[in-house]
Amino acid sequence: MTRRRLVGTLAFAAFTAVIVAAVALIPMQDYTMHILVQTATFSIAVFGLAVVLGLCGQINLAQAAFFGFGAYAVGLGTSTLHLNFWLALVIGMGFALAMGAVLGMTTLRLGGHYLAMVTISFQQIVTLIMVNWIALTHGPDGVSGIQRPALFQSAQAFLAVCVFAMALVGYMVWQLPTTRLGRAMRAVRDNELAAGVAGVNVYRVKVAAFALSAVLGGIGGGLFAGGFSYVSPDQFSFAESIVFITMTLLGGVSSPIGALIGTGLLIVLPESLRFLKSVPGLYLAIYGLAIILIIRYMPDGIWGFVQDRVRRLLPPPPFAGAPEELVLTQAGTASPGQEPPALEVQHLAKHFGGVKAVDDISFQVRRGSVHALIGPNGSGKTTTLNVLSGIYTATAGTVLLAGSDISAVPGHARTIAGLGRTFQNIRLFRSMSALENVVIGAEQGGHHAEVSHAALVERARAALAFVGLEGRAHERVTGFSYGHQRLIEIARALAGQPTLLLLDEPAAGLNSSEKLGLLELLRRIAAKGLTILIIDHDMTLVTQVAEHITVLNFGRCIADGVAAQVLRQPDVIAAYLGTEPDAPAFH
Amino acid sequence: MPLLSIDNLVVRYGEIEALHGVSLSIEAGEVVTLLGANGAGKSTTLRAVSGLLKPAAGDVLFEGRSIAALAPEAIVKLGIAHVPEGRRLFPGLTARENIMLGASNRGRVAKAQLVRESDEMFDLFPDIRPFADALGWMLSGGQQQMVAVARGLMAKPRLLLLDEPSLGLAPVIVQKVFAIIGEIRRRGTTVLLVEQNARMALSMADRGYVLETGRLAVSGKPAELWSNDEVRAAYLGGRIDKDI
Amino acid sequence: MDLALQLFFTGLGIGAVYALVALGFVLIFRATNVVNFAQGEFSMVGAYLMVVFAVDLQWPYGWAFLAALAGMALLGVIFNLGVYYPLRHRTFLPVIIATIGASIFLANTVLALYGPAPQVLPGWFETPGVQIGPVYLDSQYLLIMAVTIVLVIFNFWFFEHTLLGKKLQATSQDKEMASLLGIPVATMIMLTFVYSALLGGIAGILVAPILFVSIQMGATIALKAFAATIIGGFGDVKGAIIGGLALGVIETFGAAYISVPYKDGFAFLVLVAFLIFRPQGIFGERVAEKA
Repeated sequence: MTRRRLVGTLAFAAFTAVIVAAVALIPMQDYTMHILVQTATFSIAVFGLAVVLGLCGQINLAQAAFFGFGAYAVGLGTSTLHLNFWLALVIGMGFALAMGAVLGMTTLRLGGHYLAMVTISFQQIVTLIMVNWIALTHGPDGVSGIQRPALFQSAQAFLAVCVFAMALVGYMVWQLPTTRLGRAMRAVRDNELAAGVAGVNVYRVKVAAFALSAVLGGIGGGLFAGGFSYVSPDQFSFAESIVFITMTLLGGVSSPIGALIGTGLLIVLPESLRFLKSVPGLYLAIYGLAIILIIRYMPDGIWGFVQDRVRRLLPPPPFAGAPEELVLTQAGTASPGQEPPALEVQHLAKHFGGVKAVDDISFQVRRGSVHALIGPNGSGKTTTLNVLSGIYTATAGTVLLAGSDISAVPGHARTIAGLGRTFQNIRLFRSMSALENVVIGAEQGGHHAEVSHAALVERARAALAFVGLEGRAHERVTGFSYGHQRLIEIARALAGQPTLLLLDEPAAGLNSSEKLGLLELLRRIAAKGLTILIIDHDMTLVTQVAEHITVLNFGRCIADGVAAQVLRQPDVIAAYLGTEPDAPAFH
Repeated sequence: MPLLSIDNLVVRYGEIEALHGVSLSIEAGEVVTLLGANGAGKSTTLRAVSGLLKPAAGDVLFEGRSIAALAPEAIVKLGIAHVPEGRRLFPGLTARENIMLGASNRGRVAKAQLVRESDEMFDLFPDIRPFADALGWMLSGGQQQMVAVARGLMAKPRLLLLDEPSLGLAPVIVQKVFAIIGEIRRRGTTVLLVEQNARMALSMADRGYVLETGRLAVSGKPAELWSNDEVRAAYLGGRIDKDI
Repeated sequence: MDLALQLFFTGLGIGAVYALVALGFVLIFRATNVVNFAQGEFSMVGAYLMVVFAVDLQWPYGWAFLAALAGMALLGVIFNLGVYYPLRHRTFLPVIIATIGASIFLANTVLALYGPAPQVLPGWFETPGVQIGPVYLDSQYLLIMAVTIVLVIFNFWFFEHTLLGKKLQATSQDKEMASLLGIPVATMIMLTFVYSALLGGIAGILVAPILFVSIQMGATIALKAFAATIIGGFGDVKGAIIGGLALGVIETFGAAYISVPYKDGFAFLVLVAFLIFRPQGIFGERVAEKA
């Protein structure tokens, strides 16, 4: 743990201790205690939304249902079944987790609006069951006589428990963005496609976020039940889910401090504006309007706005020592010459309906070589590249990476298998710094489980230094020039220790001096023995760096061999410069 | 006064500057071609002219009047039709319907009139007449390109912007498409042609400009450009024989 | 067997309502790529407007209906300008949340103005129904089916045979290309919202005499409409209609043979079943391959 983080944690712990003590010891009215219990327990549920919606970008409109699972588990558990409070709470958490996982697993493969629809439906059904399954839930009468844990019977003691729980959960949610999982969630939110190609298992990350949000909802609900000793279905309806969402949005969608601010405001404000509740519907109508206005004018919430200002003032933590030398290849086990080619493509085909974008191509990329795949626009190069990186499934043919068949391996797993890739239109995670982008490459790439996290960060740093940008490691990627963003993307791919580096038009959009820099970088990468497959239109670049060239036209291979010879072949020249027109020469 | 004049155009995509101050002009009746490698900014230039992109600096003048701030719907009403890269037929509509919608810039036109005019288009492009009622997505690349150009012509434009019409087409089809461009030119429409097939484009054009990473590198008559080393290097590196 | 036939007919009737709401929903989605979570509230507002004009102001039904439609058209305009249009360049998540906010706002504003007690809208006809053989055809159900058939035919004619309908289709297939041709995209989207609001409103007005006119009716109908679009294939027009009808029938049979209070739950179960086993619905294309 870095020193800054350690200091922050200690400060947080001290602060929490003070607050919990204050809450436990300062005498206060019942009314104040109720407000505080509600704020603390609601905050925990809203922290859950900060994770799934703020951090991971997935919508959960059933948080009140998960809150209700926890509440009813504690309620029925302690009052009807006479279970220990903590046991009942754990049961509630488990149930919420299970339902959250199931819900997530069924819908997260599809688009976001499916998730929204399903969560709304789920919420409505849960309310239906809470109201109608009287034998289990006591229906509209609700559950009363809910017990608190033996050690914390008094209202104030229990309040202290709630505040402590809120602080604990808040701390975890605060630290989450800088953990491997948290970073993966942010990558998914920023750019799902790039996240997948960087090695993130997008589906699993989304399900994890969703399940986590459900569990936090359950914890909040369980504590809520203990605090108020009575629960009824109308406290866990769709309206409450909307209240939770509004609290998340108002405060600042991805931070726990924002969540706390939003929750506090939206509990305390209406209390002082009590008259609003006198007209049924007015209260929620204002909520609805507030949602629209917040989304339009303040999408990052109150805290998001503040954070932005603060971030510019705080300097980032310095690195310890110089970056290490980047390691790009693993020692091979077979003797040189007997190793399988880094990449072998056999009779690859990709059809889109009737269009044969790629129509039976085969080629090999020798280990340690620089190989170029060229062809005029529309020749099938990018489609081939997409099939190689797993974004498309091939219609026919095989892809072998260092001898193993990866034809059926999903995209993100190919990165772990050793395929590093950059995109034609740069896909960096825009909300993150240069270093964070590259760290994701290290965290999700090959061999990541074999070393410590600190070593992965060092590897990322080494990659960033290799491309010459270590000095600006903590700057947000949006502040870099296009050429430099391209370098960061390459560093991200390198940090994953790939067997093969796949570059899709790396020179696109670069000016001449940036191209020279790129050329020099590619030469240095090749000098370290890493195999490169490059697709580009810039023939000057290609001819200066590639040893072998494969030429595509209309989805087929028209030439394959040593660079200098291939570019002299007449059909290659014709493919590029164009065919002879029927009309006579130029005027 | 040139029909179209682009003055020091600067265009950005977010933080990235794609055009760094490009200037060119087109006289009425000309066919001018814009060449360059991928990513050079050719399509960006067309999109700035047709209003899909707003310039960060510089101006676009049509018949002397600035159009840089206008929306695409307004620009096409003035007489500039853009046939974008990739054809972009409406996949769920038939070839004829696509063509008829090309007249959407001309105000109220009776449906019967539009049907007549689309028949005239089939005279100009006889290869697609059998596919008049086929849905957009079912047509081949070449057929789509012809429908897209026909659709562009339905707007009765003064200036036609053609973005990479030969993209992905077999040489035989490319010949046909370019023959049509010749016919369009004969009928008096001014054409700004962005093309990857430098050979075909230069054989058709009166003048050409070559863009390189957002800047104008070279301009001139086709014969000059063809023998200019920089142009050939941009496409194929410096190692090719001049006589090809 | 008689009972089954009766249930089938009733199911079609209620399914037709779902079909109309689902249709409005799908049209907005195709034009803007936005899932409009306030679609159900359009039905609710339509029904309440009818109550205002026909019951409170005692206008004759015909005039009340026209006035309610005018109100719905206005709502469509305001909704587009206030909710969708300012957010049209943002990603889909803020827009979804905004439409949810709008649905909350609409439902609760009506609640604040009218109070929580359900309203009663009398049926359109004097005769409550017609007996044909073993089946009793409630006249309101007959009306619903007749109106739905007319609207579906109109919808087909409009989109397939008019130039404006073609322009709307073009806008939903490729907005940028449509603008390049001179099609006024913003106007097309406005029209789509108005049309969908009208469809939703008509559905609400038709079903109002059968259910009570209540604040919650919007949410319930929306849930069914969502399920209908998933069943039929998300984004597919005929799928929305067939899905709506199918859902109505399934639900009615379910209520009769399995359980009444959980009737609304069938929509959810069918929805989840389709999402697990056939997410593209009956007519949709494969959802999974995301490139």
